[in-house]
Amino acid sequence: MEYLVVLLILVVFLQTRIMELHRATYLLAIQSAIIAGSCVIIGVSAGGGGVYAFLPGLLTLGVKVVFIPWAILRLIGQIKDDSEINSNINVNYSSMAAAVFLVMGYIMADHLLPGVIGRDIFAAAILTIMTGLTLIVMRRRAIMQIVGLITLENGIYFFGLLMTEGLPLIVELGVFLDVLIAVVVLVILTGRMRLSFMTTDTGVMRKLKG
Amino acid sequence: MEFSIGHLLYVVLGVPIVFSILAVSNILGNNMLHHLSRLSAVIVGAAVFQIMLLFDSGRPYSGTYLYLDALSLWMMMIVTLLYLAFAFTAEAYLDRDTNIRYGYLRRFSYLEGRFYALSHIFVWTMLLVVLVNNLGLMWVTIEATTLVSALLVAFKFTKTSLEAAWKYVMVCTVGICLALLGTILVYYAQLQAGCQDLPLDWVYLAACASELNPAMAKIAFCFLFVGYGTKIGLAPMHAWLPDAHSESPALTSGLLSGSLCICAMYVLLRNVVILMPAVGVQFISDIFVSFGILTIGLAVPFVVVQRDIKRMLAYSSMENFGLMAVGLGIFLPTSVGAGFLHMLNHALVKYALFYTAGTIMETYSTKNMMRIHGMLKQSPRTAVIWLLGIVGILGMPPIGVFFSKFHIIAGLFTVGDMWRGILTLLLLAGIVMGILYHTTRMLGGQPTRRSAGELMGIMDTAAIIALLVLSGVISLVVNELPFLGPILQESVKIVMGGVL
Repeated sequence: MEYLVVLLILVVFLQTRIMELHRATYLLAIQSAIIAGSCVIIGVSAGGGGVYAFLPGLLTLGVKVVFIPWAILRLIGQIKDDSEINSNINVNYSSMAAAVFLVMGYIMADHLLPGVIGRDIFAAAILTIMTGLTLIVMRRRAIMQIVGLITLENGIYFFGLLMTEGLPLIVELGVFLDVLIAVVVLVILTGRMRLSFMTTDTGVMRKLKG
Repeated sequence: MEFSIGHLLYVVLGVPIVFSILAVSNILGNNMLHHLSRLSAVIVGAAVFQIMLLFDSGRPYSGTYLYLDALSLWMMMIVTLLYLAFAFTAEAYLDRDTNIRYGYLRRFSYLEGRFYALSHIFVWTMLLVVLVNNLGLMWVTIEATTLVSALLVAFKFTKTSLEAAWKYVMVCTVGICLALLGTILVYYAQLQAGCQDLPLDWVYLAACASELNPAMAKIAFCFLFVGYGTKIGLAPMHAWLPDAHSESPALTSGLLSGSLCICAMYVLLRNVVILMPAVGVQFISDIFVSFGILTIGLAVPFVVVQRDIKRMLAYSSMENFGLMAVGLGIFLPTSVGAGFLHMLNHALVKYALFYTAGTIMETYSTKNMMRIHGMLKQSPRTAVIWLLGIVGILGMPPIGVFFSKFHIIAGLFTVGDMWRGILTLLLLAGIVMGILYHTTRMLGGQPTRRSAGELMGIMDTAAIIALLVLSGVISLVVNELPFLGPILQESVKIVMGGVL
């Protein structure tokens, strides 16, 4: 478990640096795979055994590691313009913010939940959630925002694993369904955006004010 | 033949889905589609009516995943009324949209089926929100409403509607994710309190609410308030609301404003009932009332300087949601009852207004209110309905909004909160001035623009008038009405459970 947490922190840090869309998507897949792994570990150690221990992990694998990256990669494949895929804005602040979030996570863990066993897991979850938010707020391109949204969702899911060993099964199934539909909807919207605005940069959308 | 409530609920949840599948499969002609849509709404309406007759507030219906008590029934009634209104106005709206200059859909007649399917699924998800028994499932269904309605907001795929839909999905999903965090914390508190038999089950949780850890419950409440508050459209989190309400098709705007936001408020209330004993009434009440007043205050300047007709209505919705939050947050029986009544009144009147606004937009082929004059001369029927609706939503007597607004503000003075009461009244006066200014400009004066004449047909006029009349009649006599009155009083008791 400790290795997975360290790996997760590494991946999230890398996510704040990567600007190229293919690599960002691969990183998202790796991140989801880590979540799936820890899901199975916690499921087994909770002593449930049987299908219930493995089902959430398998679903994570199917939905977040395979389907979502596949859908995003397909979308990227349709984008011809190279400047859409690469961009060089200054990302140092994002990385620095991520470092601050990690420290903040540890402080919060000590203050809010002194008794909780997984101090590292808590901090990693906070880091993932906040990095997801940063990606949504700071990045202009639609696909990066989708990546940020899934990161945020992963972080919350990870947090749930730590706190309550996952949600009740029926709720968890619903959450997976929602994530699945959300990505489908966002991919449709991004595709349309590409047709209407000739770009997937959300910065062009600023007509609606007041 | 006798039906039990359980069977009727299956009808309520089954019919819209069956219709959507038929509609999206595109095997029906357009005429058939309109008829079937109305038929399914009428079936659902009849089933809900029958449930209201059968319902005994002492014994709520409880199934494996479904739960129906007075509060859910009240909400279900609002959603169903709007569903009926939708079904009876959809044909006129779509016909106009496929014919006249503005008509986007004329090139894609197959899209009508898709629009119907999405709208019915949207209503179905809202019915699910009020019927599930589990806080986690409530979260899931609320998120599902966001996703379905996002496709409806972007239905015309114009540039602005895309922008609105993107903002809508992003802001709401992030907000709702915070609510998921809050739900996880509630679950954690439940496990800590040692009541883990039925995870997140609402009835079970309400029974052991007093054992939750106060600190944890407070954090959970904050996350839940921010999360569901985003979806309601309360002030600092409202960024998506005016865009989504103004850019979607008029029918969808009506459903969004009338029923979706109050569904989110319903889920927030369910959570509040659980957390109230642990967090304390005062804290919750303060947050509800201050954010409510902030929301009203933020809407005022935007209403006054507004040029876009549907954005004006969207900000007026915000004002009303703020007022609902105030009413529910005072935690007096009269004000909570008025809050629920306001949900009903606002839904009925705002649907009528959004529909009429859509009609006006097509009559004049512009959204800019500054360019519309002399409506009374050019399209008198639309003008009169528009005036009635506006007068209603501002809280003037013939329409029901007056009664609910009055009791909410009276509640503020009853608890001795004089300054906040006066502040609210002043802000409402600002809204009245802003909206009346725009409306009188539109109605009076000499026409300066060619119009498409009178576009309201018979069926949609009847439906809209029915909505307005229903709002007035129900609010006037709600406590004496045979089945509705007890349901409202019982819903108030459910929310007041921790306070009384």
